[in-house]
Amino acid sequence: MLNSRIILLVEDNSDDATLTMRALKKNNVANEVIVAEDGAQALEYLFGAGAAGRVAPEVVLLDLKLPKVDGLEVLRQIRADERTKCLPVVILTSSSEERDMVEGYRLGANSYVRKPVEFVEFSHAVGQLGLYWLLLNQVPPKRA
Amino acid sequence: MSFHRSPDPAAPPAISVEDYAKATRNIPEDFAGEKAELEATQRAVVNILEDFTAEKAHLEEAQRAALNILEDFTADRAWFEDAQRAMLNILDDFGQERVRVEAANRDLSEAFESLRQAKEAVEAANRELDAFAYSVAHDLRAPLRAMDGFSMALLEDCREKLDGDASEYLMRIRAASQRMAQLIDDLLQLSRVTRGEMRRSTVDLSGAARAIAQELRESQPTRRAEFIIEDDLVAEGDVSLLQQVLRNLLENAWKFTAKHPAARIEFGATERDGVRAFFVRDDGAGFDMAYADKLFGVFQRLHSAGDFQGTGIGLATVQRIVHRHGGRVWAEGAPERGATFYFALAQAPRARVVQQGREDRC
Repeated sequence: MLNSRIILLVEDNSDDATLTMRALKKNNVANEVIVAEDGAQALEYLFGAGAAGRVAPEVVLLDLKLPKVDGLEVLRQIRADERTKCLPVVILTSSSEERDMVEGYRLGANSYVRKPVEFVEFSHAVGQLGLYWLLLNQVPPKRA
Repeated sequence: MSFHRSPDPAAPPAISVEDYAKATRNIPEDFAGEKAELEATQRAVVNILEDFTAEKAHLEEAQRAALNILEDFTADRAWFEDAQRAMLNILDDFGQERVRVEAANRDLSEAFESLRQAKEAVEAANRELDAFAYSVAHDLRAPLRAMDGFSMALLEDCREKLDGDASEYLMRIRAASQRMAQLIDDLLQLSRVTRGEMRRSTVDLSGAARAIAQELRESQPTRRAEFIIEDDLVAEGDVSLLQQVLRNLLENAWKFTAKHPAARIEFGATERDGVRAFFVRDDGAGFDMAYADKLFGVFQRLHSAGDFQGTGIGLATVQRIVHRHGGRVWAEGAPERGATFYFALAQAPRARVVQQGREDRC
């Protein structure tokens, strides 16, 4: 049941994507992770042709600096669409710039987490996110 | 008379005596008519003369009046000429003044123009710096995360295949990536200090210092350290920037007293050359005054990384913040006898404390 809940990881850096998935595994979060390598891919997964047949993610881990469509724009479109209006979105980024944080929250991000360089901290942060958003957090039942 | 001469054959027919007598009788009659006419004319002339006399009297009166006016006018004219001269002088002065004002205006417009250009250049430079810092924040940290993360993965997943040296090298790679990440963070902090908008208000320095001291004590609860913080110290300035100053100075004091069995760290205010200065004093490792000028330079360190951790950016940040507040920083110290860092802020007149271009943030 738990494993049917998937994570959408929007990350253009394959090192970061690999490390994030390793961190999730290390923290016993065995859920499937769909990786979108840029903002356009993320939007395609959520809203593109056949989106209705795909499993909606439980949480989106969203990087900000992305090719094609940047993270804040992805977030804006997620919040603008009735289907994904309430979808939890966690900004997971290198930036600790205040304006990114302010803009992220203003657009309706549920959390803002800065990726630590140190892997133990990084792993801890990602593990906490996985546990919180996939286990602890309660969401209303999905429409059929 | 011609009619007494002998008859001229070419002359008209001679007039008869009767005709002549008749004519002579008519003369007085004609003359009487003539006379009446003459008298009428004379009367008319007399009338005219009488009218003229009256007219003349009028005219003379008018002339006298005119003369009076002219006399008055002469006096007036003198006055008027004086006034005119004065006016011309004024106009002259005004003309010169105007030339001066116009020149001053031109100077002013030129100054404004160059100011505007300078402002634009600064804004452009700031935008570039902003983009650069943004890129640094995002892009430079990612490879470091990979270096640290995959070194860690090797240590965890392949431990049995790695000998002692290999593990040690991987640890060094990790330490170096983390140190570089710290350098990047500190550099970002330094650049943020000059980039952000200044939002002035009255800042409770004593309160901020107490909060930071509390955090430091909690970070190493076993250390014996005494904080002595003067009450009610306030300053005009940007809250977060001034808090940063206190944080960097107090953290420094905390760090450089770590090797002494007990530490005493003070925050207070004093007067130097008639200027109010705040200070953070410690009784830690101190420094040689010969190197005092290097203290505030970026990446300048007076202690080896082995003795005290640090990137050499903290004091440079302090100096930048204080300079942005129109003030200055200086330090006094002696090796193993502690250090005192002073900062004085410009006494900004209240009127200038207008919050300009303040951003609304949620």
